[in-house]
Amino acid sequence: MILIIGGESAGKRNFAETLGYTEKEIADAVIDERPVVYHLERLVFAQPEQADSLLDRLLEKELVICCEVGSGIIPVDRNERLGREATGRLCVRLAQQAQAVVRLVCGIPTVIKGELPGKATRDKE
Amino acid sequence: MPNSRMILLTGGSACGKSSYAEELCLKLPFPRYYIAAMRPFGDGSEEKIARHRQLRRGKGFETIERYTDLQGLVLPRRGTVLLECICNLTANEMFDENGAWTDPYETVVAGVDALRRKSDTLIVITNEVGADSRTYDPGTIAYMEAIGRINQSLVQQADVVCELVCGIPLTVKGSLEEIV
Repeated sequence: MILIIGGESAGKRNFAETLGYTEKEIADAVIDERPVVYHLERLVFAQPEQADSLLDRLLEKELVICCEVGSGIIPVDRNERLGREATGRLCVRLAQQAQAVVRLVCGIPTVIKGELPGKATRDKE
Repeated sequence: MPNSRMILLTGGSACGKSSYAEELCLKLPFPRYYIAAMRPFGDGSEEKIARHRQLRRGKGFETIERYTDLQGLVLPRRGTVLLECICNLTANEMFDENGAWTDPYETVVAGVDALRRKSDTLIVITNEVGADSRTYDPGTIAYMEAIGRINQSLVQQADVVCELVCGIPLTVKGSLEEIV
C-alpha cells in the first residue's frame, strides 16, 4: 500500500494517475473492490470514532489518498475536532505499514518514506 | 556552563509529534521532565491530557504543570525536558479570562530561552496553525500570527527542527544524529 497525502487540491489525484491508475479504479470516499481509496478524510469525518476499524481494509489497497487536515486552528465543534484527530492518527498508522508515503506540495511529490514501485511493475500486472 | 541543546518539533494535529518526542526522550538521560502547558478544561483538553498521560506512563517522566511564566520555573535538576506545547503556552500568555489579549511573543520566546538554558536537552512541541482559512475572529487571527512569529524565532534558537508528517520526521534544520 502506498499512502498519498497533502493538503486540499495539492495534486494528489493527478499524482495517482501518473502511477497508472484510471478513473475507474479510484473509489471516492468509499471502500469497495477498487484498488484506490480517495478522500479517506471524508470517510473518517463521517464516523470519527470508527476510524480504527477501517485500518485493515485500507492496508489491503494499492493506494490510499488522504487530505492532511490537521494544520490549522483546533475546531470548536467536537465532531470536527474528533474527525481531524482521527484522520491524523489513522494516517500515522497507515504510514507505519505503508511501503511508501508520498506527500504532495503544490503538485510536487516528495517520497517521505520507502520507495515507489517503477511504473513498469504496475503495467505488467 | 554545560551546553544546552534544543529540538523543535512541529506539525499539524495528531501527526505523531508527542509520540515521536517521547521516543527521543527515551534515548536521552534522566532526569526527564515533562512540562505540561495545557490547562485541563475545555475543547477536549481532558481527553487529550488523559491520552498523553497514558502515552508517557512507564517512561520515567516527572510531570510539571506550568501554564505560564517559563522564565520563573525552577527545575529540580538539569536534564531532558519536553515542553508540550507552544500553542497552549501562547494562548495562556495571550488571553485573559475575558478574551482580551496582549502580544505574547516576548514572554513565550524568552520563556523557552530560559527553559533551554536550564536543560541539557530541551524538546519543544509546537503546531502548524497557519495552514488554514482566515475566517476567524480578530483574536484568533492575532493568535495565529503570534504562533507564526514565535515559531520563526524558536527555529533560530533550535539546533534541530523537524516537521512530523504522518508520524514521519522530516528534518528541516540541523541533524538529529548529532544530538540523540
